Amino acid sequence: MQSLSSHASQHSKRWFSVVGFLSLLLLALVALPTLSPTTFPFLNALHIDTDPENMLSETEPVRLFHNEMKKEFGLYDMIVVGVVNETNPQGVFNVETLNDVVQLTDFAKKIGWDENGVRHGVIAADVMAPSTVDNIEQAGVGTVRFEWLMKQPATTQAEALAIAQKAQRIPFLNNTLISDDGKSLALYIPITAKKDSYKIAEMLKAEISTFKGTDTYHITGLPIAQDQFGIEMFKQMAISAPLAMLLIFALMWYFFRHLNLIIAPMVVALVAVIGTMGLLIITGNTVHIMSSMIPIFIMPIAVLDAVHILSDFFDKYPHSKNRTTALREVMKELSKPMLFTSLTTCAGFASLAFTPIPPVQVFGVFIAIGVALAWFLTITLVPAYIMLLPEKSLLGFGMGSTNEAGGVPKLSLMGRGLLRLGGFTFTHAKLILGITLVLSGVAYYGITKIQINDNPVKWFEANHPIRIADQALNKRFAGTYMAYLTFEAVDDNLDVLTPSIIDDFASNVQADLQPLLGSPLSAVEEKLIGFQDDAASDEEWEAWEAALVTLQNVQQQRSTFKRPDVLAYIEGLQAYLLETGLVGKSNTLPDIVKTVHRELFLGEEEAYRIPDTQNAVAQTLLTYQGSHRPQDLWHFVTPDYRKTNLWIQLKSGDNKDMAAVIEAVDGYVEAHPAPTALAHKWFGLTYINVVWQQRMVAGMLDAFVGSFVIVLVMMVFLFRSFWWGLLSMVPLSLTIGLIYGVIGLIGKDYDMPVAVLSALSLGLAVDYAIHFLVRSREIRQRYQNWQMSVKEVFGEPGRAIARNVIVIGIGFTPLLAAPLVPYQTVGIFISAILVIAGAGSLLILPALITLFETTLFKASKEGTS
Amino acid sequence: MKKIAFTAALATTLLLTLNTSFATDMTVEGIVDKANHTAYYQGDDGKAKVTMTITDSQGRDRTRDFVILRKDDGVDDGAQKMYVYFRRPADVNKTAFLVWKQTGQADDRWLYLPALDLVKRIAASDERTSFVGSHFFYEDVSGRSPTEDTHELIEESDQFYVLKSTPKEPQDVEFSYYKNWIHKGTYIPVKTEFFDKAGTSYRTYEALKVETVQGHPTITQSKMTDQNLGGSTLMDYSKVEYDLGLPDEIFSERYLRTAPRQYLR
Repeated sequence: MQSLSSHASQHSKRWFSVVGFLSLLLLALVALPTLSPTTFPFLNALHIDTDPENMLSETEPVRLFHNEMKKEFGLYDMIVVGVVNETNPQGVFNVETLNDVVQLTDFAKKIGWDENGVRHGVIAADVMAPSTVDNIEQAGVGTVRFEWLMKQPATTQAEALAIAQKAQRIPFLNNTLISDDGKSLALYIPITAKKDSYKIAEMLKAEISTFKGTDTYHITGLPIAQDQFGIEMFKQMAISAPLAMLLIFALMWYFFRHLNLIIAPMVVALVAVIGTMGLLIITGNTVHIMSSMIPIFIMPIAVLDAVHILSDFFDKYPHSKNRTTALREVMKELSKPMLFTSLTTCAGFASLAFTPIPPVQVFGVFIAIGVALAWFLTITLVPAYIMLLPEKSLLGFGMGSTNEAGGVPKLSLMGRGLLRLGGFTFTHAKLILGITLVLSGVAYYGITKIQINDNPVKWFEANHPIRIADQALNKRFAGTYMAYLTFEAVDDNLDVLTPSIIDDFASNVQADLQPLLGSPLSAVEEKLIGFQDDAASDEEWEAWEAALVTLQNVQQQRSTFKRPDVLAYIEGLQAYLLETGLVGKSNTLPDIVKTVHRELFLGEEEAYRIPDTQNAVAQTLLTYQGSHRPQDLWHFVTPDYRKTNLWIQLKSGDNKDMAAVIEAVDGYVEAHPAPTALAHKWFGLTYINVVWQQRMVAGMLDAFVGSFVIVLVMMVFLFRSFWWGLLSMVPLSLTIGLIYGVIGLIGKDYDMPVAVLSALSLGLAVDYAIHFLVRSREIRQRYQNWQMSVKEVFGEPGRAIARNVIVIGIGFTPLLAAPLVPYQTVGIFISAILVIAGAGSLLILPALITLFETTLFKASKEGTS
Repeated sequence: MKKIAFTAALATTLLLTLNTSFATDMTVEGIVDKANHTAYYQGDDGKAKVTMTITDSQGRDRTRDFVILRKDDGVDDGAQKMYVYFRRPADVNKTAFLVWKQTGQADDRWLYLPALDLVKRIAASDERTSFVGSHFFYEDVSGRSPTEDTHELIEESDQFYVLKSTPKEPQDVEFSYYKNWIHKGTYIPVKTEFFDKAGTSYRTYEALKVETVQGHPTITQSKMTDQNLGGSTLMDYSKVEYDLGLPDEIFSERYLRTAPRQYLR
């Protein structure tokens, strides 16, 4: 590859033209289908995907089940509109606000449009608002009434308050539609597809802006959060990433004081980012929350190698004052470590391909491609660029660090500090190792404290409107995070006539049934209806009628979730979940049965219970189906009553809280056997988040262990020595240990970006060790004595590492200004990783070499080239 | 004078009031009256076995079997009484509804739930609640009083009068108007379409089968489709009989608990 570099430096202009042309071509291939999809249907357009569901592959059983259940129970993704009034003593239950709410509800129900013949928009029939839900109550002696909770907007304050009181009496509405204190409202607006949420939310906002009241409208719900995330993601890519680039540029200028020269690393970084993102898009991959971070990851890595070259050139050029000579020397020294650092970084990221999370796979693979690309561009374009510069523009380059005589270098503060540091590592090697061991202990302790958790809503900053809405609503309602728990009857299917079933029938018909043994019950039913139609007398007709009822009763035993004992079991689970404090509220089939039963019995509290027989449950439910919204029942149970669905409202969308609920349910089911065989399963976005997180954690660990081994093998191969290979792994092991130890100690959740950082650490941290050790060995070979080598090692190689740490470490601080927490996390930790890895390489490695000089150099004697 | 037939529970309703200057030999009032009569008042009394199949948007079916008895109070197509007796599913067997239909005021409705040993009066704020979970409303089954809407004849073909009916109290109903296709020969309303406030049709009633029973053209299969909810409900009528001489007393609260079995076979 040195020949590659020299080819590039000899044909600089051609190299730049080709690279420039390819970059423009990629840009065009992305821009054309994105701006004009119809003209270029054969090209892949830029496609943003912010759906956390896609953390799992579309064919993942959890997602298939989720979609199947959503369909089976008629559930849609929902926009939640919270209405809060802080000034009125009655909250939103005043005439003006309720009128606004009705107007908004009517408006929302009408939102819809056609896209290629498919209707998009709001599912009007399922909107939950005061004017669209039913109330059941007493209406005089012996009378029960179904009515719209708020058929007409309230006209007096008394009417407004009455609506609040009615809603609070209905368990399904209380704490869901109306807040705990009876002063706020939440409207639930189901939508056809998540991707429509932004458009719908904008329409709602426009309508709300016409209201004159003092109410606050919070629009939230997971679909909104996701769409918003996409918008913020663009902001981040458009602002933070270029800002980072600018800062890196400024820092490089500070170190090298040569504007023209430092454009080279910037060009490398830019082309690497364009190339990688261009390839990502034209190959049809979506820009997901993960892949949107690719530019941020590629930039430091791309700049890293170029800084090594420039740093070395900066130190070498003043000696020869000849670019070609200086460049040849630089490339001779650096080409091997640069190849290996790039290979290890690629390996670290490519290992992510083995995680079971598709966006993480794409992320890993494309960063690996980007790193390879950056390496290739660095070893060709940077030398080519240097050759393109007129020789006179290099005048004075590097002179700042050397005195006129070219003798003893006049060192910068950093240079002097590094030299002192080198001496210190030699004299205090044991102290350094002691501190390292103590830090390792602390890191280990911290790692044991790590809490695995994530929450897509918390990807927004605390003062973001989404977080504010989230807080405002969860403070007042039983929780806006919905998880669904299904129970399915898994008992034997009673679908053929058996002798024991015949025994259930009255004795006068048993003989007629004997020939039908083994027939399906539906066939038996047809037969009985035939017998009844042919009945000669009223008595005979009645006998067949009784037989038909008996038969249906047998068939009805399959209606598991009409059984009082089974409903009581669900009720017990609900009570237990409330006790755990993890669940704000649950809405279930038993709640509906109990509410209707109460109103059938004068609305008295003691009648708020599950009736005693299956028939009584069935008749209570038949009564419920005489309301305005009988279809609501099927959100909780399937029409065959074999499957039920519990709506579990959580106040927190934290995965750890959801995981605790899952565990609580498993524990309860284990300890309390159901009256009949039931199988339970979760679905809902809050649950899916937990599943992909578990996959991610396990997958990341596997990927990390795998790539650690691969990098170790590569290092052993590079140094032709097991001990040197092992040595090179020390700084990165410490870096990763410390990073995760600190995360554990400060109580920062181990979330998606944190998980990905292990790959970044592996890729970056080993780089410094490679550069340090390769150069150390070369120098030690010349001096045959480590003590004498130290000074030179902490000269140019040390400075290159230190410059790198500073440029890239500081260069990423603009990420802290990103409006999204994952990017902030990445920004902080990239800086921390670089600093620790740099410090580790410059302190621990020389200390170890000092202590184990004999072993290390004996071991590598034959291997060294 | 009304020897006529009874078509069991039906959708649609129509009615009188309004005259238009449409070129027809019938007044709008006359068409509406005759259609209302054909749909709900044929014979002095009547009986039908009904199998109701509710199909939801996912294609899942549920069936309910019940018997409807009906007796008119007078001869003016006004008040009438209805008894709905559930036979299946088995767990609602013997559940019964009693409806005293009034003109000019809300109907009286009672519900008997045998498993709870309970007779309950049901007061709905309106008649447009679901009939036992089907796509039909109570009002579709008992009949919407023609006086609640204003009617106009908007179209006339060889076979049909097409009426547009607009509610006088729009806040009481969820539709803004409905259109009715009335068969010229029989005055059977064969199709009714309900339109929402945006003018979109969202709910459709259709008479699918008509048979002549004891000289009365009688709907024996009808269907209600709801585009908002998805799915539809099919009602199949069998064993339709008119003029059975049903005694008045069986349409009382007492007979809810002890069903008049001989009339329900």
